[in-house]
Amino acid sequence: MRGFMVFIKKELLEQVRTYRLWILFAVFLVIGMMSPLMAKLMPEIFSSLDMEGLVIQVPEPTVYDAYAQFFKNLTQMGILGVLLVFGGTLSNELARGTLVNILAKGLPRRTVLLSKYAAAVLVWTAGYALAIATDYGYTVYLFPNGGVANLFFSLFCLWLFVCFVISLILLSSTIAPGSFGGLILSAVALVVMLMLGMVPKAGRYNPVTLASVNTALLEGAKSVSDLTITVSITVVLILSCLIASILIFEKKKL
Amino acid sequence: MEILELKNVSKRFGDLEVIKDLSFSVPEHCVFGFIGKNGAGKTTTMKMILGFLAADQGEIRIFGERVTYGNTKTNRHIGYLPDVPEFYGYMSPKEYLKLCGEVSGLKKGIITERTKELLGLVGLEGVNRRIRGFSRGMKQRLGIAQALLGEPRLLICDEPTSALDPVGRKEILDILSLAKARTTIVFSTHILSDVERICDSIGMLDQGKIVVQGSVTEIKNNHRRDVIRLEVAIESKVEQVSKELMQMDFVSEIKINNNKLDIQITNAGQAGMDILGYLVQQRIPVLRYELLEPSLENVFLEVIG
Repeated sequence: MRGFMVFIKKELLEQVRTYRLWILFAVFLVIGMMSPLMAKLMPEIFSSLDMEGLVIQVPEPTVYDAYAQFFKNLTQMGILGVLLVFGGTLSNELARGTLVNILAKGLPRRTVLLSKYAAAVLVWTAGYALAIATDYGYTVYLFPNGGVANLFFSLFCLWLFVCFVISLILLSSTIAPGSFGGLILSAVALVVMLMLGMVPKAGRYNPVTLASVNTALLEGAKSVSDLTITVSITVVLILSCLIASILIFEKKKL
Repeated sequence: MEILELKNVSKRFGDLEVIKDLSFSVPEHCVFGFIGKNGAGKTTTMKMILGFLAADQGEIRIFGERVTYGNTKTNRHIGYLPDVPEFYGYMSPKEYLKLCGEVSGLKKGIITERTKELLGLVGLEGVNRRIRGFSRGMKQRLGIAQALLGEPRLLICDEPTSALDPVGRKEILDILSLAKARTTIVFSTHILSDVERICDSIGMLDQGKIVVQGSVTEIKNNHRRDVIRLEVAIESKVEQVSKELMQMDFVSEIKINNNKLDIQITNAGQAGMDILGYLVQQRIPVLRYELLEPSLENVFLEVIG
């Protein structure tokens, strides 16, 4: 436990001093500000375009459009940002050999892995909270009328999905060699899961659903109980990724 | 007491057998030089001692405790300096040593105290910039500081001087000589003059096996090939001297190179007297007379040749 806290502190210091924390926070802040604004301005943007007589009817934007934008941006830019910021957290250290001194001092390898996971989840949660707070403020201001269903649960689903992505990065980093091995392998795994997501009916068992079902939840088209199985599977997958990465890492050549 | 003991250790990478049935031991309070050419298996052996690589066969013990692959408890006795130590470039040396101390579970006061002392020892006191901009020599010195932080009973250094310029090498060797007082040092290298400077005993590794082991003086004595080098002032006399010396029964061979004669003898004490006596008697002017000392370099080339 002592080593765990020490290493979390080191991870956070690394995020701060290598500017990764600030880059991630900037991305989330922009997402939080831009999403409701884009939704609000969309009709005006369309009307200002000279379409040579073609008239596009854009319905008056609602609070749903604001959240739809928010989730779309988070699942694209946000997840990309998370991949880039945390993709090298273990791979870089293994490729450069910076862990050698630390492990030679007797810090258990599982402590290194778990504290890396905890630090990454902590930073992600803080960035996500920043995005949510900004987005919520702007949305309430720009769309004073109307609320949405299941907002908290929908946000939780995306949070859990990204926690899964981070565990996937750690597992990939223990398997694939090189500075970018972890990043590339986890990106490949995500693409495969996205493609599997197109198979109807199988969606319930695929964590990707947690990042695609968000607006359906807000509109009430899906309910919390529809996703119990997906949430449970994702939690199990996170734990499996962590356990597998620990087992592989403990026997890894340095 | 044997601090480190390897018994019949073997390791192969694919078809390449790097370490073959390697056995040696290092007693406490000595500086052990682990010598071999590049690719002889020195780093592989050290990584096995630290549990970073699995040995295919055999066992390694530290204070009688067996080293296991992966997380090994024996590392608590060891300070390790890798051949090219890598640090977190965004930290200052002080911050790095603090991290190392906390990871090893040292108390706060002890960390501060030792950090100060060790940074002084390695000549990095007052350096507060980030490690990112450090030279190789500075990194190597910080590497020694982090290795000594936990006051290990065994310090393992993997080629600490190989990548450095002569000044950097001298600094590292001086630091290691100081560290000698507090811990046992195992240190691998292919630079033999470094070994002669600080090692008490050595093991020479060739093709995955220890070919020579013992104290430096002992090895030199065992490999003494009694040769007297004689440099005669008048070159025309060389032939005559060679011919007449050959007739003495303790001279087995003479090699001539310009006016230098390398005289191989069987009995150093008496032969020296007789040769000198002969030179005086014949009034042959001599520029140089020396009994050739075997250098570790000669021994090394001889045993691996």
